[in-house]
Amino acid sequence: MAIPKEIYKVFESIVGPKYVSDDPVICEAYRSGPGGYEDGLGYERVMTTIPGAVIMPKTTQEVQRIVKVCYRKDIPYVPYSTGFYGPRSHPHVEDALLIDLKRMNDFILDEKHFYVEVGPGMVYSPIQEECMKHGAYVVIGGGGAQASAIANLIGDGWSPLSHRIGLPHRRILGTEVVMPDGELLKTGSLATGEDPFWGEGPGPDLRGLLRGYTGLRGCLGIVTRMAIKTLPFQPERLEPTGISPNTALALPENRIKWINFTVPSKEAQVQAMKEIGHAEIGGAVTKVPLFWRAIAKAECKEEFWDIWGKETPESIANFFIVRVLLIGFTSEEQMAYDEKVLMDIMEPLGGVARRTKPSDESWIKNADSAGMWLMCGGYVSVDYVIETLSQSTEHGSSYAELKKKYTPPLMPDYGDPGWFQSFELGHQGYSEFLIYWDPDDDTHPVDQFYVDTSKMNIKNRYYTSLLGPHQPLYLTGPKYGPNYHEFLLKVKDEFDPKWMSHPPVPLAHDVFVERSPWMHPMKDWESPGDLPK
Amino acid sequence: MAQQPNIRYYKPKEEFSLDIRDIESFVYDMSRCIKCKGCTWVDHTYMPGAKFMTRCPSATLYEYDAYGAYGKLRIAHGMVEGKVDWNETALEIVYACTLCGACDVGCKRNLDLEIELTLEALRVKAVRDGVGPMPAHKKIAENIQKQHNMYGSPHDKRSAWVPQDAPPADKADLLYFAGCAASYVNQEIAQSTARIFKAAGTPYMLMPDEWCCGNTVFSVGMFDEAKAMAERNIEEVRKTGAKTLVTSCAEGYRMWKVDYPKLLNMATEDLGFEVLHLVEFVDEKVKNGALTLTKPLDTRLTYHDACSLSRLSEPWTPYTGKRGWMGCVEPRLKRRRGANGVYAQPREILQEIPGVDLIEMPRTRENAYCCGAGRGTKEAFPELAQFSANHRLEEVKEIGAETLVSACPFCKNNFNQAVRDNGDPVQVMDISEVICASIEA
Repeated sequence: MAIPKEIYKVFESIVGPKYVSDDPVICEAYRSGPGGYEDGLGYERVMTTIPGAVIMPKTTQEVQRIVKVCYRKDIPYVPYSTGFYGPRSHPHVEDALLIDLKRMNDFILDEKHFYVEVGPGMVYSPIQEECMKHGAYVVIGGGGAQASAIANLIGDGWSPLSHRIGLPHRRILGTEVVMPDGELLKTGSLATGEDPFWGEGPGPDLRGLLRGYTGLRGCLGIVTRMAIKTLPFQPERLEPTGISPNTALALPENRIKWINFTVPSKEAQVQAMKEIGHAEIGGAVTKVPLFWRAIAKAECKEEFWDIWGKETPESIANFFIVRVLLIGFTSEEQMAYDEKVLMDIMEPLGGVARRTKPSDESWIKNADSAGMWLMCGGYVSVDYVIETLSQSTEHGSSYAELKKKYTPPLMPDYGDPGWFQSFELGHQGYSEFLIYWDPDDDTHPVDQFYVDTSKMNIKNRYYTSLLGPHQPLYLTGPKYGPNYHEFLLKVKDEFDPKWMSHPPVPLAHDVFVERSPWMHPMKDWESPGDLPK
Repeated sequence: MAQQPNIRYYKPKEEFSLDIRDIESFVYDMSRCIKCKGCTWVDHTYMPGAKFMTRCPSATLYEYDAYGAYGKLRIAHGMVEGKVDWNETALEIVYACTLCGACDVGCKRNLDLEIELTLEALRVKAVRDGVGPMPAHKKIAENIQKQHNMYGSPHDKRSAWVPQDAPPADKADLLYFAGCAASYVNQEIAQSTARIFKAAGTPYMLMPDEWCCGNTVFSVGMFDEAKAMAERNIEEVRKTGAKTLVTSCAEGYRMWKVDYPKLLNMATEDLGFEVLHLVEFVDEKVKNGALTLTKPLDTRLTYHDACSLSRLSEPWTPYTGKRGWMGCVEPRLKRRRGANGVYAQPREILQEIPGVDLIEMPRTRENAYCCGAGRGTKEAFPELAQFSANHRLEEVKEIGAETLVSACPFCKNNFNQAVRDNGDPVQVMDISEVICASIEA
């Protein structure tokens, strides 16, 4: 049943006829697939559909009115900021209302109190540019410079710059949330006034419910406004150079530079990260997947495969790199001092500084996530964990081992253990594992690998993000708490008793497994018989 | 569990070509769009801030995802798969687009997909399915058929612009193709161009019987009609023996250099003559000393990159090959990414002029925001053309420029109309006029 006409007219009266449409062509454009994050995989094919209508509010009040109508009239809805996050941010049920938030792109910079205030339609790169103009900076999350800052911060929100800036839930300040019944929730100092400078409280800090570890994709409400903490940056301009596709920020090396070191072993890699964090130097310390170097060198996907195809398990196993970003936050002298400290750390570890371009192609202003699809066409960061530095490196290796079983269709990567780095000056280690495949191959093994990683994480006791609603909740929840699933479902029932906000999240992956015959052999956990069909 | 096949990564290679007559040629590209919206945002490295964030006029004005390339590709894919059909909205989405190429260079930075060709193919499909083009486009096609120009003006007046002080030669190595706009509406551009040739000591000739280049007809998807015009015009130029064809119109330049070869499945280098825009000609003459720009022009000036001279102007080479595992193609495809467009020459010319204070807008070169006039947009969707011009003029005002210069009559006219409507204190000039003003005694 399509959205009834009388309700459609109510939507028109809220936003104006121009900003709501149930035209099938307009709705088709909001299809999740066939390309993109997880697109082409079973989850996208089985779980997503086009919306019954699309609406584009401009204000929080309009969002409230829309949601209240949906709640009253049993219209399922899905909040949507940029649509980049693939199937999980698209409708999962027929005739849902997609609430496209791109018009809510307000931006305020409070220079005095070091924060910016944004709407869900505002993406990262303009925020970073405005911040840098005023001596500040933020993390552009690994999701990319094109990601909605709000969506990214309530989902993931980290990058190599998190070595110094830290984790996203500490950067979310005053926030405004339209709850599933349309009521407005204000957190932090917004709860008592109009100044969003403070993030916690009142009472229990609701940011934990809002984002958990990696977010709930709008199933507990819609964030319509958020203040984001910024931090002081160095003052010199980073000048954009080059012409597309080869553009970069030229770095004034007296204040900011990347240095790539090769080191003799994985142990030296980890030790270097620990000591750099201990010395409290650097803006980023990271080891990226080795095929990223091939991406950077290649002029096209065919050349990537020429370059990458020359690698072997031995060449990958014996190549260790540590990439360090030095920033002279306070002065050139501080920069020079930090560089000396860095060299003092690296030399005894056998670190050799390689020639490194005085430019930044990715991370400071342009987390280049979109380029990840270039080589294969199919890509997912299947897991990311925040552990200790030593534990996080083991995480990548265990993934590389499991991946062998699913290669092909996964891309040959010769055992590369993925991406790991320091967070919060070495207090935490971060590990992210990325997988790639040709979407024209049989992708069922990719779906299976995804769930198999959860089982591996449970077995290895990784405190991992994706042991949550991004996996079957009844597989991961009992191991993650042990009543994480019950707690989350009670919160969902309390906030959204009619399950109108992005159903059937957070049970979507459970439903996917039930609906997909090729997943049934993997199901060795208990789940209730009354899952949403 | 996953099974280990006997042959790793085997995938049959499929033949394909960059043929805009068949929308299925671009199913691969449609199916690999990831909604990063690099087609809509300014290159993030160059992102100027919270103002002027986008480079796609259509997505900026209409806002629904359907109007961005990511939406159009999904709609086109849905059509190929039979999930959606043409309706009035689909037609508007396909044609309310300037085909300015901003999306194409954006995507080439990230994914190397053929967005511009897909959008062109979608328009060819619209025409072949009997739903396109728009009524205003059909009127232009009718005008061209009757009078060989897009305005329906008398064909026998086409050369009325020729200045007495700089007449064409009967025979010359250089042929000036004025185009419809400079022949009828912007005669000052054609006249300035002729005087520049004279000042450079370079005789020029005209086509014995110049007809429309067919820009609008091609751009709206009337492939067969455009192809016939390409065949006729190329043959006429070949008959003259010209070695170089110069245009002062960016749209015409793109037609001759890129789209005629595309229509005729040939390489640009096989045309038999070189195609230059006036700024390329002048740049060379200034550099070799044949032309000096000495008369001061005291103004704070900014240059607007016309899409067809900049990111859309790389030469065409036909391609047929095979696509295999991971989408890799063989033989190697040299993709057109807009990196080799005509960006530097107009700026270098303008900087040669005494008194000119050349300043850049926040969005320049491959990130430039289209004026909104070209490729059939202004005729069928005047509100989009007006919006785009006004949006671009906001940048002009932001940097405090007094003079806005472009290298295409379509840009000039659209900006001029917006300036007149708004009462903006901005002088709009074509670069030919600026050059001419600096060489005339």
